[in-house]
Amino acid sequence: MTGSASDVAVDSEVVIQEAPGNRLQELEQEGEIAADYLEALLDIVDMDGDLDLDVEGQRAVVAVVGTGLDGLVGHRGETLEALQELTRLAVLQKTGARSRLMLDVGGHRARRRAELTTLATEVSERVLDGGQPESLTTMTPFERKVVHDTVAAIDGVHSESEGEEPSRYVVVLPD
Amino acid sequence: MLEAALEHLVRGIVDHPEDVRVDLRTGRRGRTLEVRVHPDDLGKVIGRGGRTARALRTVMAGVGGKGVRVDVVDVDRV
Repeated sequence: MTGSASDVAVDSEVVIQEAPGNRLQELEQEGEIAADYLEALLDIVDMDGDLDLDVEGQRAVVAVVGTGLDGLVGHRGETLEALQELTRLAVLQKTGARSRLMLDVGGHRARRRAELTTLATEVSERVLDGGQPESLTTMTPFERKVVHDTVAAIDGVHSESEGEEPSRYVVVLPD
Repeated sequence: MLEAALEHLVRGIVDHPEDVRVDLRTGRRGRTLEVRVHPDDLGKVIGRGGRTARALRTVMAGVGGKGVRVDVVDVDRV
């Protein structure tokens, strides 16, 4: 009896110690599969870009860095979203597990995040002053999340998404 | 170049990459990239509600294939 009890203790200890490390390894592997997929594409279409791999929170982050990459970003990042979707599928194909990896190209997401944070702050101030809800233009899921996160940090207003993809948009409302 | 790019994008997301074939054809309606895959992979290439096929079209337009159609050919039907 004592023997089996200590076996259990050892097992759970191992699980607790190894789980985060395994998860990190999985996310790093996701990034590497994604990088292979993207590098081969860049090579074929003759675009120059370096790949930066990172893990932020619970997701792999893959960034294609360089100039002349606008074609891969597209109008308001729609090509970037499409490429992210295909890259996630390529990871799923290799690992058998769904990926939430985030792709950035040419610093687009960082730029958009800054613009949208400013916009969401301005809109929130107008809603606080006027007491009337305000709808924003159609946005991608990434863009909406930036707006929701910004509005959530401001007292007296909240936000909701309305409409169906790909025409979903955010509404900022007074509390 | 367009054929090779599309072939690569599709090969990475299917169970039978060796069965992926892409042809570029020119017809009255302009240029078309025709994608053929293993019948079992059709669903993967089209995706739920045509989502994956749409993503393939969007990316192809971004890498120099603007105005080029992308057709997933249903081999069973042809």
